[in-house]
Amino acid sequence: MALATALPFLARAHHPEAFHEGPRRLATSAGVVNTVLMLTSSYFVARSMSAIRRNRQRQTLYWLAGALLCGIGYLVVKSIEFAWYSELGINGSTGIFFTTYYYLAFNHLVHVGWGSLGILWVMVRTWAGAYSPEDHEGLEAFACYWHTIDLAWLIIFPIAYVWH
Amino acid sequence: MSGIEMSHDRKLTFAWLFLLVLTLGGGYLGETAEPGMAITLIVAAVIAIKGRMVINHFMELRDANQRIRRLVTAYFYVLPAMVIAVDLFGPWLSRLTSI
Repeated sequence: MALATALPFLARAHHPEAFHEGPRRLATSAGVVNTVLMLTSSYFVARSMSAIRRNRQRQTLYWLAGALLCGIGYLVVKSIEFAWYSELGINGSTGIFFTTYYYLAFNHLVHVGWGSLGILWVMVRTWAGAYSPEDHEGLEAFACYWHTIDLAWLIIFPIAYVWH
Repeated sequence: MSGIEMSHDRKLTFAWLFLLVLTLGGGYLGETAEPGMAITLIVAAVIAIKGRMVINHFMELRDANQRIRRLVTAYFYVLPAMVIAVDLFGPWLSRLTSI
C-alpha cells in the first residue's frame, strides 16, 4: 500500500508537466459526485454501527442499504466516466498521468466492488439477527474495511482531480 | 435513544456535512484555480483534515488502541507532507529516484 501511495508522488516529481495538464482532462464533476457518494456511504456505515449498538436491527439494515446504494452509484458513475474517457481516446497508455490515474482509480474501483459485496453480506447477517449490541464484530470489521476504502479515495480525488 | 447516542449521531452528521462542504470546495478549486503553491497547500490541508475526520469520527479510532490510531493517522501527516515536498523539491526527488 505504501508503494501504491508513493507512486503518484514519484511520477509527479519525474513528470511535472504531465501532472499539471492531466487533471484538466479529467471530469472533475464525476470525481466530486463519487467523493460525495463515498463519504455518504461511509457516514451510513457509521450510522449502522450506532444503530446496532442500540439493538435497532431494522435501522441498521436501512443504513446499510443506503451505503450499498452509494457503493453501486459509485460503480455506475465510475463506469460512465471511464467510458467517456474512452470515447475521447484516453486510456492507460495516453501518458504517465493517465497510467498513474488508471492504476489508482481501477484499483480503488475493484475494492469498492468487493466492498459492495461485503455490504450485501453484512446486510444478510443483520437480517438473520447475527449482530447484537454485545456482539457485532463482523459488522465492525466490515465498517473498518469500508472506511479505509473511503480514506483511499479521499487521497486519490485531490491528487488526481484537483492538484494541477 | 439516549442523550449520549443522540450526541454521537449528531456529531457524525456534522462531520459528514463538513466533509461534503470540503469536497464541493475542492471540486470548485479543481475547476477554477491556477497551478501554484497555494493550490498545493490547500490540497495538502484538505487531505489532512478529511483523513483525520474520517479516522476520528467514522472509524472511531479516537478511542481505539493508540498504536493503531497513530499508525493510521500517520498516513495523513506523511501524505500532505509528500504533496508539499513534491512541489518544493520535485527535481531533487526526481534525481534521487532515477535509476
